Order: sequence, then structure tokens, then C-alpha cells
Amino acid sequence: MNAGTYQLIKLEVIRALRNKKYLFFTVMYPAALFLMLGGTLSGTTKVMGTELTMPAFYMVAMASFGALTAVLVGNSERIAKEREKGWVRQLRLTALPGRGYVLAKTASAGVLSLPAILVVFGVAAAAKGVRFEVWQWFALTLAIWAGSLVFAALGVAIGYCASGDNVRPITMLLYFGLSILGGLWMPTAAFPQWLRNICEWLPTHAYAGLGQAIELGGAPHVKDVAILAGYFVLFTGAAAWLYRKDSLKA
Amino acid sequence: MTTTTPAHSAGPATTAGPVVSFQNVTKSYGQVRAVDGLSLELHPGETVALLGPNGAGKSSTLDLLLGLRPADSGEVRLFGGTAREAVAAGRVGAMLQSGGLMEEVSVRELVALGCSLHPRPHPVDEVLHRAGITEIASRMVNKLSGGQEQRVRFALATAGHNDLIVLDEPTTGMDVTARQAFWATMREQAAQGRTVLFATHYLEEADAIADRVLVLNKGRLLADGSAAEIKAKAGARRVAFDLDGTVDEQVLRALPALTAFERHGTTVKLQSSDADATVHAVYALGLYPRNLEVAGLGLEQAFIALTEAEEATR
Repeated sequence: MNAGTYQLIKLEVIRALRNKKYLFFTVMYPAALFLMLGGTLSGTTKVMGTELTMPAFYMVAMASFGALTAVLVGNSERIAKEREKGWVRQLRLTALPGRGYVLAKTASAGVLSLPAILVVFGVAAAAKGVRFEVWQWFALTLAIWAGSLVFAALGVAIGYCASGDNVRPITMLLYFGLSILGGLWMPTAAFPQWLRNICEWLPTHAYAGLGQAIELGGAPHVKDVAILAGYFVLFTGAAAWLYRKDSLKA
Repeated sequence: MTTTTPAHSAGPATTAGPVVSFQNVTKSYGQVRAVDGLSLELHPGETVALLGPNGAGKSSTLDLLLGLRPADSGEVRLFGGTAREAVAAGRVGAMLQSGGLMEEVSVRELVALGCSLHPRPHPVDEVLHRAGITEIASRMVNKLSGGQEQRVRFALATAGHNDLIVLDEPTTGMDVTARQAFWATMREQAAQGRTVLFATHYLEEADAIADRVLVLNKGRLLADGSAAEIKAKAGARRVAFDLDGTVDEQVLRALPALTAFERHGTTVKLQSSDADATVHAVYALGLYPRNLEVAGLGLEQAFIALTEAEEATR
């Protein structure tokens, strides 16, 4: 990584931390959602077909979902806005390579999704008595955080496809669609078989799978990791290509 | 300090040829042909004005030059290569009208980023000083006035050792003092052997700053020469006089070298590409003009005359 790319990453992170409203939304939203959706659940009810309690399942689901929200919505909207203002045009007149831009946006999103995950875990442990082994807490944090970077890259790509006016509806559609079908809100065990066959290949399903495997005491499935890696390459490649091709006039 | 020609790593045989070359370049947006068969070359060390009214295709031309958009047909070369190669090698700095700034950061942070992204950067303090923004370096970018934003854009365009500086209407939003200071800085850059290309519709700027003027209208090159040559080409002189009695207008319109003719009562106003021949012919007709005035045209009139002449032939 060259010095310029490093400076851009640093500045993107600083900017994200300076925007208090964005910061608050990103970090507090997943925890608020967990309390709203999981607040009435009993700590002894088991998830269908597993030994997992409902609050534990919801904690992992909401941490994943919240991290995804933070990076996907945050990135796509901010990038669409930056394109409209012409900053990206100016940036394209520098020696910064396309992958440098995608890297900076993905990294700055990752810096915000980490505290969002930790806050959900903290709230779940304190308010709902969710308990895991120490290694599981670390593994969950790492897996959910690393997986969120896939969606940060998707956010960059969406920010490039959409204009400032339609970026929100497009993001929301993708976001709810992917979250529900991928089993981030509820277990896909309730879905009919044909739908489950399709859902299996979604990045959100693989993402949810990472956390679920760990919370059940195992290691993430190779298939899920491979699917996520594939999507990461696809999304970052698309985002870098779109950055170079972007010809939006301010 | 000794002056040396900077060594370039952008590839061999790139310093000898033209800095910029357009060959029969065309670009359309839907039905609108923004750039229409444009061919031109810029050479090292030139200060060139791209002059034209709004909608003449100036910004589109600069977009194509900088590789921000692809041409529909024709070829655009910078230093013998593609625009992207020249930008990646740090040979081009540009200040665009449509170029936005990163927000939620300070002026210094943004300029420092510009410097670190440049392969051959200047020190940050030097860039801030040259752009006249040392005093506002700690201010947040989204709190700046229009003129201050322009100076930050200029700082970004001059963050490193560029061989070509491209400026799109750079003094928009600046007051007279700021404008003068800006052009003084730009002249320094040109004096160091840099090629400067600026788009403007401030005609006095083209006249005062550029040693070469390209006149653009409807995406086509109307004229290419020094400001003096442009004036000469468009009908360099204004000739005015009063005539008593009734003189047939057809006779006056047939005067040699005329490019424009107006008559209000006894007053006759002409534009001529050869004022000597025109005035001589007036006397040769046996007329006795009174209050004869012969004056040079400003670039503005020259420019309007050129534009009108071109429209008449289309």
C-alpha cells in the first residue's frame, strides 16, 4: 500500500469518527434493534432445531445485521453524495488507484462496524444474560467483523451505480431482501425448501452461517467462508471498476 | 539555486513530443455534440487559453483531455500516452469547476492528502502558502466561501511537480485582488517551464495571460493563435466616421476588407481586417468623412465577430 492510499484511509476514518450523527446511528442502531426485537424473548426458549437460546441467536443475528447496516447504508449513501459533489472527480485526477479508493472506504466502514458489534454483545450479555465461551466471543467478533467488510465493498459498488436520489431506495431494497432471505432476522428453517436452496448462496446467508457455526460451538463452514470470499472479490472488483468508469457530471 | 529540467519516469520519448494532442476528437451527449472533430496540439511551456462562451464545449474538452470521459471517436494523447498514465505519473494537475472537495476535514488535512497522493509532491506548507490559504489551513472545508474553495482546488492542482496544469474557469468566485494574485502565481508556474491550459470566458484574462488562444464554439475550434492574431483574424480595427449628404449604402458596403457594417443616420461604423485599405477606398470614392476614428478591437469584439462569422457560414 502506498503512502497516499494510507493517508486516504486515515482521513476517511477520521471523517467517519467526526460525524457524530453517523457515528451514533451506526454504533447504537444494532443494539437498539436487539433490545426491540429480542427484548421480550425468554432466555430459555430454544431456536427450532438447535440447542441455542433465542436471545443468543438474536444477539448474533443483530450484531451481524447491525454491522451490515452500518457499512452498507453508510457507504452507499456517503459515496453517492460525494460523487454528486464532485469530490470523486477530483480524486480521479490523482495517482490514487481504483482499488485504493475501495480499500479506504471499506476500511473506514470496518472501523465503525467493530464497536457496533461489541455494543450488541455487551447489551446482550448484560441485559439478557447471554453467555458464551471466551474463545466464542473472540471468534464471533472476528467473524462478524470480517464478514461485514464484504458488505462494505457492496456499499461502495452501490454508491457508484446509484445517484443521490435513488441510492436510498436501492440500498434499502437490497438490504432488507438480503437480510431476510439470508436468515439474519429469523432462522431460514421456517422457509420452504425451494427458497432455502436459493438463499443458501446469498452472501447474507453465508454471513449468518459464520456466527451460527461459532455459537453452536463449531468452526465456520468452509463453504460459507468461500462464498463470502467470492462475493468480496466480486464486490471490490465491481466497485473499483465503477470508480474508474464513473462519468457522473456534477 | 540552479534550474534543471526535471527528469521524468513516465517513459521514454515523452518529453520531446506535444504535451497534449487531440486528433479529430468527437463527443456527444444524446443529441448534443459537445466536441465536434477537434484537433489540436499543446507544446511544452505554452500558456494557452481555451476561450469560448458557455456551452462551447470547454469543460467537455477538458474532461476528455483528463480522461474523465472517453471520446466517441478520435484520439486524445497526453505526453504521448493515455490521460490515466499521465495522471498516475503525476504529470498533470487539474482544477475543475465540477471538482468537489472532501468534507468534514480541515483545509490542511485535505491538502496534505493531495500531497501524499502525488508521486512528486511539494511540501504541504509550501502548497498552502502558494495558494494563499495558510491562514485558513485549520478551517473545515465545508465552512469555506466560494473563493476560498477555489484556492483549495488550486492547492490540490499544484500539490506536486506537474508538467501540465489544467484549469477550468479558475477565477470564478474570486474578487479582483484574489484574481490578480491567482494569475501572478500562475505566471510563476508557467515561468518554471510548465504548460498551462485554462478555460475561460473572461476575455481579458485570455488576452492578458495567455501566449496562445484557442477559440472554441459549439465544440469546434474557431481560431488558434496569439491574442493579437485572433484580433487580426476577426477584423482587427473599428473604423467610424460621419458622412454628410446621401451616399448609396451599397457603395459603402462594397468597401474592401469589411467584416461588419452599421449605419445610423450620418454615422457609419465599420469593422475592417485592413483599416488602411478601407480608409483609402473611402477617400478614393471622393467622399469626405468627418470625425474619422480608427481603433483596435478588444478581444471580446474579436471573439464575438468570429463566433458570428462562423454561425453565418453554417
